Amino acid sequence: MDKKLRLRINEISKSYKLKKKDYHKVIDSLSLDIFDNEFLVILGPGHCGKTVLLNIIAGLETPDVGFVELDGVKIDGPNPDMGMVFQKTGVFPWLTVMENVELGPRFKGEAKSERRERAQKYINLVGLQGFESHRPPQLSGGMKQRVGIARAYTNNPEILIMDEPFGALDAQTRYSMEEEISNIWSIEKRTVIFVTNNIEEALALGDRIVLLTECPARVKEIYEVNMPRPRDLMSEEFLLLRQKISENTDLSIDSEV
Amino acid sequence: MNNKNILIKQILYLVLPVISVLLLIVLWFFASSVNRVLVPTPGDVIDRFVKTFTNPINNQYIWGHIWASLRRVLIALFFSCSIGIPFGILIGWNKTAEATVGSLFELIRPIPPIAWLPLIVMLLGIGEIPKILIVFIGTFTPIVLNTATSIKLVDPLYLDVGKMFNANSMKLLFNIALPASMPAIFAGFRTATSGGLMVVMAAEMIGAQEGLGFIIQRGMDAFDVPLIMVGMVVIGLVGVFLAVVTNYLEKLVCHG
Ligand SMILES: Nc1ncnc2c1ncn2[C@@H]1O[C@H](COP(=O)(O)OP(=O)(O)OP(=O)(O)O)[C@@H](O)[C@H]1O
Ligand SMILES: [Mg+2]
Repeated sequence: MDKKLRLRINEISKSYKLKKKDYHKVIDSLSLDIFDNEFLVILGPGHCGKTVLLNIIAGLETPDVGFVELDGVKIDGPNPDMGMVFQKTGVFPWLTVMENVELGPRFKGEAKSERRERAQKYINLVGLQGFESHRPPQLSGGMKQRVGIARAYTNNPEILIMDEPFGALDAQTRYSMEEEISNIWSIEKRTVIFVTNNIEEALALGDRIVLLTECPARVKEIYEVNMPRPRDLMSEEFLLLRQKISENTDLSIDSEV
Repeated sequence: MNNKNILIKQILYLVLPVISVLLLIVLWFFASSVNRVLVPTPGDVIDRFVKTFTNPINNQYIWGHIWASLRRVLIALFFSCSIGIPFGILIGWNKTAEATVGSLFELIRPIPPIAWLPLIVMLLGIGEIPKILIVFIGTFTPIVLNTATSIKLVDPLYLDVGKMFNANSMKLLFNIALPASMPAIFAGFRTATSGGLMVVMAAEMIGAQEGLGFIIQRGMDAFDVPLIMVGMVVIGLVGVFLAVVTNYLEKLVCHG
């Protein structure tokens, strides 16, 4: 694997004001390099600043200290090369599933037939065919998450950021979506930054797994996963690595959405 | 057994409103039996209502009066929406506008619309325009307020989605904040409609020649209590009609 540096996260810290002089430190001088076309999984316990970290990478929030560079250029706002699957989906209730999914190319002014074709491809991929003209209030939480995933993919971002995208899915769908995401990644290589609090999910997907500390978030450990895809969740290597990671964390109890 | 309980509850919920209405009517008849001049029977009111179709009041049958009130409200609503929605968007979206014209609006807003009535009558007389103007004042406020608040409080997550797709601020406003605010804008419109009916009644009680408020006023002057009640019931029906139309419009605009 070539290791071209794509994103450089340099010593960022972020605090939120609670009361007058009371600050809540969410991220504490966190540094991390992300390489081109890698599938990077960020694994961390609940409420440890994962979403805040992703928002900073995406340029939606600014760190108090430190900076993030994309291809050597400091990020100071959302970048069209990046796409985001939001944890809370952010699917628009006033649009149909199709209209939600084609949003990115529509904002770019792409022709309707072209963008619809691509949108349809990803709608099928996430298993929402037949629901194109449904509106989000008629959909389950898991289906909304899949709309969010299809929407991000349809815009073809070079860097795809996914914030616990399978949190609201049932085990069965979650498993098949993990496989699907892994497949797409093998076919159309791109950089993926994937957040989860589930060790197995991290191991099934990641080239590298970045383990975060409890609040405030710092990088605790980085694991390289050199297993072929699709991964055998019962292989010795897998189980060993899984044990190693869970011994290094207390998030095994944490399985909330 | 559980099913049976649910069934009984459902029947109960169907029957209870009927019982309440029947009770009200019984109470009404009772009050009439005490003093029929001040409290006419439901039959008296219906008779009076039927008469409004054949005996004109001030040269107008009931339809003319309904239309007079409705027209004033609709014209006022038209101007409230076409000025109020853009104005609300402006002060909801733009911090500078909020601080300048928005604060002026906040200053005037607490004055109840009917409190404007004497001033407007003294300045503009008792013609059609001052009446519409006073209804406009009453309908403008809820429309601006609802529009501005919902635009301002639009879920930042929705805007983040747009920003990730590189939307400029016009797209963020018109493709995200505005459609997200539609339900709240309609809620404002609904409030405005009922407020408008309220204000038009008051406006028509001062020097009007037609309208449901005028009918009620005329009933009072002539000590024609059934006519007063006809006016009250009809304005209520007009309110229901407007609410139905509004719901239909909302379905049309917000796709149900
Ligand atoms: N805009 C904000 N204002 C104040 N506090 C915030 C804000 N955003 C996040 N926080 C706080 O930062 C902490 C971390 O939040 P974050 O959403 O990043 O956690 P997370 O790791 O994504 O959690 P989860 O696993 O539940 O998604 C939380 O305690 C949260 O309350
Ligand atoms: Mg989160």
